[in-house]
Amino acid sequence: MTCYRNHQTLFGLCLLLFLFTSPLLATENQTDQECFESRDGMSQVRVREISPGLVNVKCSSTTGGVLWWGDPFAGTIPMGDMDIEADYSNEEAVVKPREPELDKNKMLTICSMACHDGNYVPIPHSKTPRPLKMHLDTVPDAMNLKHGKGNIWCLDCHHLVERTKLIDNFGYSISFNQPQKLCGKCHGQVYRAWRDGLHGKRIGMWDKGGKKRWWVCTECHNPHDVEQKERNSGFAQLRPEPAPNLPKGMVNANHERMHHGSHPDETGHE
Amino acid sequence: MPKQDSSKTKDNKLTSRRDFLRSAGNYTVASLSGAAMLLSDPKPAKANVTWEEHFQKNYRLMTDEEKQQAIERLETRYSEEYGKQVTVDGTPSIEGVLFGYALNIQKCIGCRRCVKACVAENNQSRGDEQQIEWIRVLRMEKGKFSETDRDQHGYPESFGVQVGGNAYKPAGVVLEGQHYYEPEQVPEKDAFYFPMQCMQCEKPPCVKVCPVRTTYRDPDGIVVIDYNWCIGCRMCIGACPYWARRFNWGEPNLPKEEMNPVTHYLGNRPRMKGVVEKCSFCVQRTRKGRWTACVEVCPVGARKFGNLLDPNSEIRKVLAKKKVFRLRADLNTYPKFFYYMD
Repeated sequence: MTCYRNHQTLFGLCLLLFLFTSPLLATENQTDQECFESRDGMSQVRVREISPGLVNVKCSSTTGGVLWWGDPFAGTIPMGDMDIEADYSNEEAVVKPREPELDKNKMLTICSMACHDGNYVPIPHSKTPRPLKMHLDTVPDAMNLKHGKGNIWCLDCHHLVERTKLIDNFGYSISFNQPQKLCGKCHGQVYRAWRDGLHGKRIGMWDKGGKKRWWVCTECHNPHDVEQKERNSGFAQLRPEPAPNLPKGMVNANHERMHHGSHPDETGHE
Repeated sequence: MPKQDSSKTKDNKLTSRRDFLRSAGNYTVASLSGAAMLLSDPKPAKANVTWEEHFQKNYRLMTDEEKQQAIERLETRYSEEYGKQVTVDGTPSIEGVLFGYALNIQKCIGCRRCVKACVAENNQSRGDEQQIEWIRVLRMEKGKFSETDRDQHGYPESFGVQVGGNAYKPAGVVLEGQHYYEPEQVPEKDAFYFPMQCMQCEKPPCVKVCPVRTTYRDPDGIVVIDYNWCIGCRMCIGACPYWARRFNWGEPNLPKEEMNPVTHYLGNRPRMKGVVEKCSFCVQRTRKGRWTACVEVCPVGARKFGNLLDPNSEIRKVLAKKKVFRLRADLNTYPKFFYYMD
């Protein structure tokens, strides 16, 4: 359900869709529905029934985001080794592989084999970042790359000849499933905080030794537009869940939007 | 006092005492039959409440056997009512665990997903008639005041939260927290968000005032409620400085298909009309080692939860490394819910 985006242009379509699907939406969590985990459109999860009457996730009918985790480990793989020993070494740590998500339409694999093998498309000499009109299908932000304030470019992170891999400082390839190995090269402090569980998100068991699903960098951050415009916060904006009901008898919530001050410029909010 | 036995008039004192006892007994029988009348009310929720449930003890005073019986009674009733296998858990607190919660207000984007996750997990009443949400997210305005304003307008004489400034240079006021904000996209540039829920105080004012002692603090730090003993006086709601408690004014509306069948006696089992409820740190999850629903759903990872007694836990690292504060620390409630910034 991505109807709510571009609602002005798609309103009619959405209305039509809604009319068709509204009997289905009555029971809020249809299996096979797809909803997003953290980043809308970039980490999806499909609703499945894991046991009678129990689903792996419940989705919001208004925003399409995951609202409730029944099975926190669905579709995960072991995290694998990290180069520096961390607390997780005595715990079962899993991640959700990023490759299937990023390579949904198999474009990465095809591009890697067909063109970017190092011969057919030559490696450019100029390292100046520039918009890439060619790649809007695989990288929606290809025209507006915002990372490193203009100081880094594609092949600082992406492998020269293996387009299904990332690259580290020494030229070794890094899997898309373990972006922390790449991101941690520059963002060391954040990386250490993430390793300690202070930064980022984990779900599963809180207890010591319990199984945990770690969320990797690109599940929350968009590496091609980390700054997110003037907000400069790293996390893309999204639509909030609906507000609580107003108390009975209250018609609107204007009272809480009003400035009571005596300052002439404080006439009202917005 | 009705005369039941008029033949015994020899010894006045004794007779009257006997009469009294007997009539008292009659009264009890009468009140019981009244209760039976109530119980035979055609409404399904009440019809299934058994005699044993009606007269069970305070959960804390029950023996293990009685607790087990109470739990089985509830499991049968809920399974019937909601048309699926409902489990009611009675897991006590884990030895050596004191739960703590930390929330990064710098990260929070105000998306209210925690609110809805909590509703999905904890079987709150939903719908227009009676909506109960244990978490409330406040939108707080960021203070942004020009220096001329600050220096010329003097001390702010208005409602709201004073921002910045000092004893000599007042800064200004912003709005109080907004509950009903509804922008197209969050986070907004000029706002931060402040989720509030039960703080699981070490010295909970709600526990102090409860006249029937149905709410109490378990050894793992969770303040729990035995809904069966709640008389609905709402003293705890008045006492709580964090607006954490909610009251079921009417019969809760919990659709069968949305009901979460994994419940705990002191946590998310379906409530009835006239009882108070609040966040229980998802006791049905956390005592089994699982993270709470709100921690798991937070898309930005602003919520951290763990064992305060384990020096290697995430929560302890947050307390050690971040700028931490507790809400209304001046009240000496010692919350186990911390707010922090990077």
